[in-house]
Amino acid sequence: MAEKGEKGFSLSNGGKSSLKSPASFKGKDDSTAKSKRGRKVQFDAEEAKISMSSKSGGKVDKPVARGDWGKGGKGDKIANGGEVPVVKAPPPLELKIEHELPENAKCLMDCEAAEILQGIQEQMVILSEDPAIKIPISFDRGLQYAKRGSHYISPHPVRRVLDALKLHNVSDGEVSMIANVGPESVEEVFALVPSLKD
Amino acid sequence: MFFHIVLERNMQLHPRHFGRDLRDKLVAKLMKDVEGTCSGRHGFVVAITGIESVGKGLIRDGTGFVTFPVKYQCVVFRPFKGEISEAVVTMVNKMGFFAEAGPVQIFVSNHLIPDDMEFQSGDIPNYTTSDGSVKIQKDSEVRLKIIGTRVDATEIFCIGTIKDDFLGVISDPGATS
Repeated sequence: MAEKGEKGFSLSNGGKSSLKSPASFKGKDDSTAKSKRGRKVQFDAEEAKISMSSKSGGKVDKPVARGDWGKGGKGDKIANGGEVPVVKAPPPLELKIEHELPENAKCLMDCEAAEILQGIQEQMVILSEDPAIKIPISFDRGLQYAKRGSHYISPHPVRRVLDALKLHNVSDGEVSMIANVGPESVEEVFALVPSLKD
Repeated sequence: MFFHIVLERNMQLHPRHFGRDLRDKLVAKLMKDVEGTCSGRHGFVVAITGIESVGKGLIRDGTGFVTFPVKYQCVVFRPFKGEISEAVVTMVNKMGFFAEAGPVQIFVSNHLIPDDMEFQSGDIPNYTTSDGSVKIQKDSEVRLKIIGTRVDATEIFCIGTIKDDFLGVISDPGATS
């Protein structure tokens, strides 16, 4: 099990963890930390939190290294010397659209998309008489999804109301997501769009 | 999520299409080539809504083909990590369930299904809570969060979760209205 970790590391907990011992950790350069991030190891629940945060660049290694890893044979709680490691819960997954789409992209609510696609479908009825023109499957699925997902009769008042949120630095993507979700409470909004809490 | 976006494409046209209907033929070819396609950056091109501009054609050396730069507006559908989506379940098995949100396939692993829901095999495989009050089966509507995406040549595939707050079954096909 000792070979599971990098060279010079010692496994002090009977194979429970392959985290570096403090003595061997000190003085190691970044290449060791980088290779550590790529490894998959089995941890129990508490150490799993530590390993997750260590992927961010080994920041958690310092508080962990203060424990009694070198003594060997002890459980996690005892090995820490009674100290509770600083474990940060992973941040909730946030919606980030602006970085991945060009600036001219306009985010549409499902009800707006349904209106546009419905208009196109009416034109397509005429075009579909031409056997050379095939309506793609993604169009039908997209229209069906947009119609099912839209809870509103008209998108314009919804857009007017939610655009007011942009004055409070809410992004287009977040506004569209709020419209699509149709939340019933503020708690629901903050739970589903965690970036609004900032 | 749907987006309205302006894209550009170089369209090649054979000389047999030259004439007074050249623009119509160019637009028809554009629609045929682009609608229904999928890319990693823009997602699915669901429909072209208009042509913004058609640039000057350049004759390719050695052939009679002419290349026209065309800017067009279109509606695209692309899933994002962190997006909340309402999908329809298409298949349930012991590993999890598959759902569809528009043209996108989403898989929710059993590790990302709440622990109080268990897989029930049978004629209609489903995930059910211990008290039987909530059931996920084929054609159920679920609200899920997308946590990962993968793009193939022709489709986008996502991984989702229903293990967070305010996620889960919206409607059950077996329930009476």
